[in-house]
Amino acid sequence: MSSAPRSRSAGFWAQAWSQFRQRRLAMTALGMVGLLALVALLAPAIAGTRPIVCRYKGQLYFPCLYYFNPAWENPVFARDRFRQRYPRNLREKDAQSWAIWPLVFQDPFRRVAENEWEDRPGNPAGMEGKPSSMNLLGTNSEGIDVFAQLVHGTTIALLVGFVSMGIASLIGISLGAIAGYVGGWADLCLSRLIEVVLCIPPLALILAVLSILEKPTIWHMMAVIGCTGWTTIARLTRAEFLKLRDADFVLAARAMGFGWPRIIFRHILPNALAPVLVPITFGIASAILTESSLSFLGFGAPPPNPSWGTLLNSARSNMGMWWLIVFPGAAIFTAVLCYNLIGEGLQEAIDPRLRDAGK
Amino acid sequence: MRNVVRQLAWCLSAWALVGLAGCSDPDRGAGEPAGSPSPSPPASAPGGAAAPAAAATGTTPPGTAVKPAEEPPAEATEAFVAPPLAEVDAQANWIDQPVANLLDLRRKEDQATQPPLSVAEALALRNDSKENNDKLVATLGRVAQQAEEVDYDAVLNRHIKADAKSTNPLFQSSVYEADVMGLIGLTPFTFDRDMNRFGDADVVVSWQTSSDRMLDKIVLRNDLTWTDGQPVTAHDLEFAFHTVMSPKISVPAIKTSLARLKGVKAYDDRTLVYFHKEALATNIWNIGIPFIPKHVYEKTLQEDPTMEQSPAHVELEKNPVTCGPYRVVERQLGSSYLFERRDDWYQKEGRPIREKPYFKQVRMRVISELNTALLALKKGEIDEMELSAEQWVNQTNDESFYEQNTKSSGIEWTTYLFTWNLNIPFFSDARVRKAMGYAFNHKELLEKQNFGLFEAANGPYHQTSWMSPKPGPAPYIQDLDKAEALLDEAGWVDSDNDGIRDKLVDGKRVKFEFSIICTPVEERKKLCTLLKDNLGQIGVICNVSPLDFAVLQERTVEHKFQAAFGGWGAGADPDLSFNIYGTNEGRNYGLYSNPEVDRLFKEARGEFDREKRAKLYARIHELIYEDQPMTYLFTKNSFYAFSKKLRGYRFSPRGPYHYGPGAFSLYKVKN
Repeated sequence: MSSAPRSRSAGFWAQAWSQFRQRRLAMTALGMVGLLALVALLAPAIAGTRPIVCRYKGQLYFPCLYYFNPAWENPVFARDRFRQRYPRNLREKDAQSWAIWPLVFQDPFRRVAENEWEDRPGNPAGMEGKPSSMNLLGTNSEGIDVFAQLVHGTTIALLVGFVSMGIASLIGISLGAIAGYVGGWADLCLSRLIEVVLCIPPLALILAVLSILEKPTIWHMMAVIGCTGWTTIARLTRAEFLKLRDADFVLAARAMGFGWPRIIFRHILPNALAPVLVPITFGIASAILTESSLSFLGFGAPPPNPSWGTLLNSARSNMGMWWLIVFPGAAIFTAVLCYNLIGEGLQEAIDPRLRDAGK
Repeated sequence: MRNVVRQLAWCLSAWALVGLAGCSDPDRGAGEPAGSPSPSPPASAPGGAAAPAAAATGTTPPGTAVKPAEEPPAEATEAFVAPPLAEVDAQANWIDQPVANLLDLRRKEDQATQPPLSVAEALALRNDSKENNDKLVATLGRVAQQAEEVDYDAVLNRHIKADAKSTNPLFQSSVYEADVMGLIGLTPFTFDRDMNRFGDADVVVSWQTSSDRMLDKIVLRNDLTWTDGQPVTAHDLEFAFHTVMSPKISVPAIKTSLARLKGVKAYDDRTLVYFHKEALATNIWNIGIPFIPKHVYEKTLQEDPTMEQSPAHVELEKNPVTCGPYRVVERQLGSSYLFERRDDWYQKEGRPIREKPYFKQVRMRVISELNTALLALKKGEIDEMELSAEQWVNQTNDESFYEQNTKSSGIEWTTYLFTWNLNIPFFSDARVRKAMGYAFNHKELLEKQNFGLFEAANGPYHQTSWMSPKPGPAPYIQDLDKAEALLDEAGWVDSDNDGIRDKLVDGKRVKFEFSIICTPVEERKKLCTLLKDNLGQIGVICNVSPLDFAVLQERTVEHKFQAAFGGWGAGADPDLSFNIYGTNEGRNYGLYSNPEVDRLFKEARGEFDREKRAKLYARIHELIYEDQPMTYLFTKNSFYAFSKKLRGYRFSPRGPYHYGPGAFSLYKVKN
């Protein structure tokens, strides 16, 4: 595979995809991840207390955008003293108004009080917050709806995986490429660097960084996970480059007088990328786990952002509230499992030995 | 390594869970070595209070730890030369102060009352209402009247949430050290449930104060011995004082209170005189010097004045020479202690000299995770534990709990609050601070987040304390209209029409957006998030930023915060709050300053009549409440689970243990 000529490398990807598609588990997992992405994107329309669309005093507004960024909520509602409670205010302040509401009228940040929505009871708190028709997956000890938190927490879970691994692959691939292509002392230095970084326990580093920062956010956490998680990627890239740099097609490219950036990025990288994708996929899974553990420890996403780990953490103080363990646990499990299945499918699809072993 | 980190993080979260708070944590003084001044006036026990001094609030006031402002120049104590005893006696005009065995007093107190229930009834009773709780405590909390009731061979298995940092009484700074010290340590003084100071009859024969209140004199009993057999003398106390005052040793907690003394002099083996700098009502809280063995440390301190590093000191840390009723038999770092009753404490040459302590052995188990502790309690591995509110409400009502245990609660003077930094443009205006009070949904907090267990707080002193005004000011309730009106009045309006209030400050338009810091504990984050939600409703952005406890302490001490959530526990004396509200005082994190309050504190300190003092503190309470440098939220109560075999517990404003006789009134009944 390594010395495949360039013209066949495109075919390699197509082949890998067709192989991948035959793996039902992996495909289901890919579908699940797609579904999660959709949930993350549509979270405010699935669960929220702000209308998706409403007509108020002759204007159309999208108050649900608040959940993406509080600044996107139109100030007209603040001016008219809505106080972030829409259902009654809309009717009282403009009888002509209409609104399309999210599927579930629940808020991920606060307890929905009594009569906020006409004739609807307030969320129960504590042990009474069992799953019910009002609170599909129950409420936590303060009475905040678990379903709403899970739905809105999807964004964080997905973002953590993609952003941190994006950073990690950027660093890992570039350093690995340099080490493998240049070789010699650069390789020596970078390999030692990789070993040093490998020694840093990411959790300890994250805790340290979060305590130094004035306003730690979820992005800092992603950055730290990314900055420590690139070593495997770099090692694999380096190995691929070491193998490929003496290949005939590289020699040919060099003979034609191409510069090193072109050789690295156009010629070697596409051929080296496949094995690197596998640790990236697994990395996403482990990043989600890391975020959950951090949140579980109380150092995760700053409040009020709901994250799956935070939900699990709140179960710790009362094991009797099983719904706080089961549902977020299942969500984390599913997401991590899906990524691992995709990674595994990918590995099998691109590695002829594994691919044929299954048959 | 990962595991270590995980464990570390576990501890962090667990301690913060129990601890007070933002500004302060009575349960634990962060991580600094011997860093923070005394959190709680130490334990119970004969010899009760060591240094309630800095304890204004049962908390770790790092203020003093970082910049020991109150520390006098070292030479001040060196330069002090005590006059001869004859001269002192001639001028003093001694007035006798109370010396008592507080367990005896409790016994007499109990004799005067009848238990509302029989023991069997009380043991069968479910603690599901305040009424039942009172009945339970009044029945099971009675102390043993006769020796026959007590199982003297019993072992008490206690629970502590974190390991004590040291077995050396000078290094105590949190309640955990106080719990250990209560058993093995000793001071000449103690205080009862109402914070009245007594000389401990197990330790001293007499305690006298000079008529000008500048001197205190004690005469020690002659039958106290160290665990190595040497007699305990007044020289040990004088030695302890000089050791604490040495600039080479880092013991800020205890130094803060002792530094208020001019000097201490042992005139013979039994007589000791304390010399005060000023005649103050609070002087009685500055004389609680713990005993340390002079004959042991005299030599080792020359090699290692820090008292921590040399091999001899490390060995002493493991096997300390102590003089309390119990001695350390076994210590496993981070997991357990075993203490054993000392025979030479209660008898000499076969004849009794003091009352025999009730337990043959006391084991303390360090369990930081409260759910694990509750499991251990249900299995009978521990006999008592402090419950979280959540556990009290949800996890201790079933048969598996009541099979071997019962529970009770008591009022505690611990107040939780938001501290505003008055030095930043948002909160320099009292109207804004009041608006915060009106904006917050107190009802939601009290009823939902706190399960209706705690009362609303209405100012610096607890409503049931003698120093609070009667009737006190009404607690704030949520009123968003009022809050908005106050903010408008203070000039915070939405002038640029973006939904967020702003104001011109020094020519610049400032958005009303601030961060509130708290420890990363779920309940606290939820509480701050509630504030965030409430403020969001009136166009103020509040970001919740949970911080590691050590970092949070540093920020608050250096005033590098905008708002903080935390709590203050009760000090033994209301003057200890001066540290929090006095201008430029160590724990005045929010930089509050009111000259009238400063003046009243000073006046109250020099006032010896408790009623007049109470009036002054009531006035202080009202003034501070009017200024609202903090938004007072709720006062926490104590919740404890006890084995059904245990009796004799009673709650003080500092919980069931941290007063006299405290833990020493506990006993197990014979089977």
